[in-house]
Amino acid sequence: MVSGVFGLFMAQFIYQMHGLFEMHFIAFIGSAILITYQNWKLQIPLAALVIVHHASFGYLQYIGYDKVYFTQLDYMTLQTFIIHGILATIVFFICGLWAYQMKLLNERQIQQTYDMGRYQEEQLQRKALLRSNEDLKKSNKELDSFVYSVSHDLRAPLSSMLGVIGLCEMREMDPFMQKNVSLLKTSVRKLDGFIMDILDYSRNARLDMHLQEIHFDEMLTDIFGNLKFMCTDDQKKVDIRLAVRNGIPFYSDKSRLSIILNNLISNSIRYQNPEVADPFVEIQVEVSETGADILVRDNGIGIAEENQGKVFNMFYRVSNKSAGSGLGLYIVKEAVEKLDGVIRLDSETGKGTQFSIRLPNLAHSRFVKQQPQS
Amino acid sequence: MDYKYKNVMVVDDNQIDLYIAEMVMLTTRFAEKVICVGSAREALEYLRPLDESSDGLPTLIFLDINMPEMTGFDFLEEYRRLPDNIRKKCIIMMLTTSLDEQDRKQAEDNEFVKRFLNKPLDRDKLAQLM
Repeated sequence: MVSGVFGLFMAQFIYQMHGLFEMHFIAFIGSAILITYQNWKLQIPLAALVIVHHASFGYLQYIGYDKVYFTQLDYMTLQTFIIHGILATIVFFICGLWAYQMKLLNERQIQQTYDMGRYQEEQLQRKALLRSNEDLKKSNKELDSFVYSVSHDLRAPLSSMLGVIGLCEMREMDPFMQKNVSLLKTSVRKLDGFIMDILDYSRNARLDMHLQEIHFDEMLTDIFGNLKFMCTDDQKKVDIRLAVRNGIPFYSDKSRLSIILNNLISNSIRYQNPEVADPFVEIQVEVSETGADILVRDNGIGIAEENQGKVFNMFYRVSNKSAGSGLGLYIVKEAVEKLDGVIRLDSETGKGTQFSIRLPNLAHSRFVKQQPQS
Repeated sequence: MDYKYKNVMVVDDNQIDLYIAEMVMLTTRFAEKVICVGSAREALEYLRPLDESSDGLPTLIFLDINMPEMTGFDFLEEYRRLPDNIRKKCIIMMLTTSLDEQDRKQAEDNEFVKRFLNKPLDRDKLAQLM
């Protein structure tokens, strides 16, 4: 109501002053359009419209065409025309500027809202990712401890069986019993080996890397200690040749490296060539700043060329006579990959087998645990 | 022929493993008497009333790790509280199927444990102890 009265008063006033409402209303409408559409460029056609309108009507009045009523003044001076033009331009410019800034502000607000939404979404995704990572770690740990306790529970009765078999062997037995007990022992050992392979597989696949300095001599002595009783009765004792050249600290994952060496060396002993007089397994280790070259070479029965591509496959066994689970070399390959290394196989039937492994020295890896200073 | 040790104690919840240990030790004349107990608690109850001059005091204790109610490590915690003169006379060996590195490390770090052996106990393993 008040604005209506005020508007009417303004219109009267402007009319009293000079000229028509229309030209002043054009200024108001123009300003309103600019602000509504928030496009500063509109001020240009609006200003042009005012100038053209004034110029043409002023000209019509000037030449005496009296059908139009333009201003109360008898004629419009050039000065009035220019002032009108400039004032209109300024009014439009201010409104244009206002429109421009309002638009910027709007855009910024929209961007901020959008960013905020995206940030929240990212936070949510991050949280979900962290949670599923946590869950995965937990289930890995649970699975590992499950495998561990199951394998322990399976191995406990097996070791009891081996113990009882051992008791039998302490007494004199007739050849028939001796043979049967020996067969029993082979089977139990095989089953035990299978369970330990599964355990190795699970630990290699699931456990985090635990880097520490590797002492090859110590590790190999341990391995040979464990394999000492592996030879069956009809097999010759395998000569062990060691050539370890270290001196530079070598860092890697001890349990995985031990799995690798244990499997390769036990294969060399198991698949020895009955026709050679001096079965041997030779282990060469050479450590440098960047890595370790490990060579496990034997003069065993070898692997035929057509089978060489398959021996690293899961559950692949070269022959039915193979005593193993078919997991050994598969686990070796997996463990080498975990350690970022490469493995190569060279073999010839009847001559022997050679595995060459190259492992990186992870001494400067971020996984290395700082040794506590004592 | 002499026996290597007079009294040897075996702590294991598995009756067959107790039997195996007893038979191997007796046959190889590793021990004159094998005291077989089926739990860590029983072992403690046996040890508590003894002193250094007791006849029944074992010189060697073979201890299983994985046992219900009280594990081998729980036993070691309680063992710590036994009087000095008993502890001085006893040597503890872990005898287990466990391949866990952590078990081995924990056993080796324990001041009372001399060795960590894997089951089954046999002639060769006993020979190594002699």
